[in-house]
Amino acid sequence: MIHTNGSPTATETPVVIDVNGLSVYYSEKQALKGISAKIHDNKVTTLIGPSGCGKSTFLRTLNRMNDRIPGFRIEGDIKISGKNPYGKGTDLLALRRNVGMVFQKPNPFPMTIYENIALGPKMHYGIKGKQLDDAVEQALREAALWEEVKDDYKKKNGLNLSGGQQQRLCIARMLAVRPEIILMDEPCSALDPISTAKVEELIKQLAGDHTLLVVTHNLQQAERISDYTAFFMFGELVEHGHSATIFGEPSHQSTQDYVSGRFG
Amino acid sequence: MTSLVYASGGVIVGIILAIAYYLTHESTYAFDRKFDFGYRFALQPIKGEFEDLDIDPNATLLTANREGMDELDEKEEGVPFPTIESLAGVAKFGTGSPQASTLSNAIPEETFKDHWKGMKRADRSTKFLLFGFATPEYKDPKMALAWSPDAAFDPNLTPFDLKLKLVQSPAGVKTDPIEIDLRKQKTGRIELPTFVARTDEDRQKGYVFELVATPTMSHNVAVLAGTMRSEWDGTLAYPRFGIVPLIVGTLILTIIAVLIATPFSIGAAVYLSEIAPNRVREWLKPLVELLASVPTVVLGYFGLMLLAPFLGNTLAAAVGLESGRALLTAAIMMAVLLFPTITSFAEDALQAVPQSMRDGGEALGLTAREKLKKIILPAAKGGIISAVILGIARAIGETMIVWILSGGTPFLPSFASPKDAVANLMKPMKGVPDAIAIEMGNVDFEGVHYGHLFLLGLVLFIITLAINTIGQRMAKKVAWRS
Repeated sequence: MIHTNGSPTATETPVVIDVNGLSVYYSEKQALKGISAKIHDNKVTTLIGPSGCGKSTFLRTLNRMNDRIPGFRIEGDIKISGKNPYGKGTDLLALRRNVGMVFQKPNPFPMTIYENIALGPKMHYGIKGKQLDDAVEQALREAALWEEVKDDYKKKNGLNLSGGQQQRLCIARMLAVRPEIILMDEPCSALDPISTAKVEELIKQLAGDHTLLVVTHNLQQAERISDYTAFFMFGELVEHGHSATIFGEPSHQSTQDYVSGRFG
Repeated sequence: MTSLVYASGGVIVGIILAIAYYLTHESTYAFDRKFDFGYRFALQPIKGEFEDLDIDPNATLLTANREGMDELDEKEEGVPFPTIESLAGVAKFGTGSPQASTLSNAIPEETFKDHWKGMKRADRSTKFLLFGFATPEYKDPKMALAWSPDAAFDPNLTPFDLKLKLVQSPAGVKTDPIEIDLRKQKTGRIELPTFVARTDEDRQKGYVFELVATPTMSHNVAVLAGTMRSEWDGTLAYPRFGIVPLIVGTLILTIIAVLIATPFSIGAAVYLSEIAPNRVREWLKPLVELLASVPTVVLGYFGLMLLAPFLGNTLAAAVGLESGRALLTAAIMMAVLLFPTITSFAEDALQAVPQSMRDGGEALGLTAREKLKKIILPAAKGGIISAVILGIARAIGETMIVWILSGGTPFLPSFASPKDAVANLMKPMKGVPDAIAIEMGNVDFEGVHYGHLFLLGLVLFIITLAINTIGQRMAKKVAWRS
C-alpha cells in the first residue's frame, strides 16, 4: 500500500539512497513493513509521523546503528550510493565515513571541543598537526560554533557547553568526517527556540552539498526546512513527496489528519 | 516525606558526631600518660669487667617506673640499704637511695637499695639521691661509679633532661664537680677516690649523687610527640605508643591491595558491562556480588591455609625470611576482598554511561576498543574512581584478614638495598584496626594503653573520612554532566 504521490521524477537530482521493500524486525515485533523510497541527492528530506511509527528505526537502519539490538534483522534491499550496507564484506568504517549522524540528545564525548572533533578525521583520514587543526577549525566554522568557542576550544570540555552549542558541536564532529549523507534524529527536540533556529539555518546551508534525512516531530519545522517529506504510520511509509504537496494537498486522509494536527 | 528525609539525615549526622565525640573522649585517657625512666647505678672495682648492670646484684635502680604505684606503699617492702655487716664477705660496695629528694630530709632508716616511684607527668621534675660507699674489705685507693639505662628504657625517647650530679663528697676528699648528661652519655663509668664506710653511720657520709629529671616540653606535647615515634609496644615496662608504624603498615597494605585489585576489577567490569552477552552478564554480576559477602574471616583462613604456606616456601625463603604470614600475603587476600566491591561499583559506573554517547561513537565509526578507550572509560572515570576509593576505605578498615595473615609485628619498611625493598613484602606487619582489635581485650579499662587504642581509632576515623571526602570531590570533578 505504497503511494508515492508527487514522487520525484527522473529529471530531478540523482537518487542516492534507494530502499526497496525494507522490513525490520526486533525479535518477533515488526517495526517497519515493506518500506520503499528513493532519497535524492543534495536535498533535505524530513521524516514525520506519530511516535513509534518507525521513522527513527528507518533512519538508524540506514547506517547500521541497530546492529547491536538483540533480535534485530532486516528483509528487503537498501542501496546507499550504490552499495548495500548490509552486504557481505561491507566496510563499516567507509559506511560511517559516507553517512554521518546527529542524535536527539546532544552527545559530546567527555573530552575537549578540539578532541571531540579531531577524533573522526584522525581515525578516518590519519591526518595530524596543522592539517588536523585546520580540519577542526573548518568543521567548527561550518557548524557556526567557531565564533563562540575559538578562544578556548582546545581547553574547554565539550560537556561544559550549553545544550544548543553541544548539538552544534555534534554537528561539527559529524561534518569533520566529511560525509555525503547526514542523518538527523530529532536534532532540535532538546533545544530552545533560538538554538533550534540556528540548527535549522545550518541544515539549510548543508543542503547545498549534502543529502539530509531529518526526523522531526515539529511539523512547522519540517515544512520550513525540507524539500521532501515522508509520512510514516504504524511502520508503513504512507506518503512520500514534495513537502509542498504533503503539507498542501496530501492524497491520504491520515496524512491530511496528521499534518493538520487532528492527531499525533 | 521531606521530614522523614531530614530526620534520617539528622540521625546519620548525629551518629557520625557521636562516634567522633566518643573516640575523642576516650582518647583523653592517653593524655593521663606518665613518662617513666629508669637507670641502674653501681660502684665497682676500678679494675674488673664492665659488668652488665642489669645483673649486678649491687646496683641500685632509680626509676620513676612502676605501674599503679604512685608512692612506695607502706606495706610494700623496699630492699633495705645494705649494712656493712650484711655485706661482709659478700660484696665490697653498697649503694642506696632515700625516699626523700633532699639531703637534709633523708632519714637513714628509710634509705633503700632501690628507689621505686610512681610514673610522672612530662611537666614535673623529679629528683633522686644516691648514696655509695665501699666496705673495709676494698683496698684499692680508687673505685668506679658505673651506670646504664634499665632494660627496655631508651633515654632517647624520654621527654626529660636527665642529669647526674655529685652533691656531696666525703670529708677530706677533693673532687672536681661532676655533672653528666645521661641522654648523651647513656652508659659509662667514672673513677673516684675510694670512700670506705667503717660504721653504718658512715654510709651516708660518703658520696651522694643526685639524678635530676627536668621537663623539656609540656605534657600534651610530650604525649603527642610520643605518638609520632616509630615504635608501638604498650606492654613494655616502659611502654611505647608510637602509632607511625601501624598507620604506615595499614597504608602500605591498602596501597598494595588496591594496586593488585584495581586492574582486575576494571577489566572484569569492562567485560561484564561492555563485552559479555546479556545472558552471561545476568549470571556473572550477582555471582561477583555474592563474592563480596564472603566473611573476611573465611578469606583470612583461606589465605592462612593456602597462600601463606605457598609464599612462605617461595618468596619468603628467597629473601631469607621464614614465615608466609606477611605484608604481601595479607595484601593479596585483601585484594580478593576488594575485587568484587570495586568490580560491582565500576560496572555500575560503566552502565551509567548514556547510550547516546555510545551511539555517537558508533556513528562516527569508532571500533569497540576505541569507543571503550576514548569515550566510555573517560565518561565513567568519576564512577570508577569512586569505586576504587570505596575499596580503599574498605581496605583501611579491614581487621580480620590483617589479624590472621599479617604476622602482627609493627613494621616500618626499609629501602637500604633492592633486596631489602623486596624483603619488605614478606615482613610481618601490624595495622591500625587489627592492633585495636587484638589489644583492646588485654588493656586496663580507661587506662593509658586503652586511651592510645582509642586515639588510633580516632586517627583511622579521620583518615577514612578524609579519603572519602577527597574521593567524592575528585569523582565529582571528573564526572560527566549531561
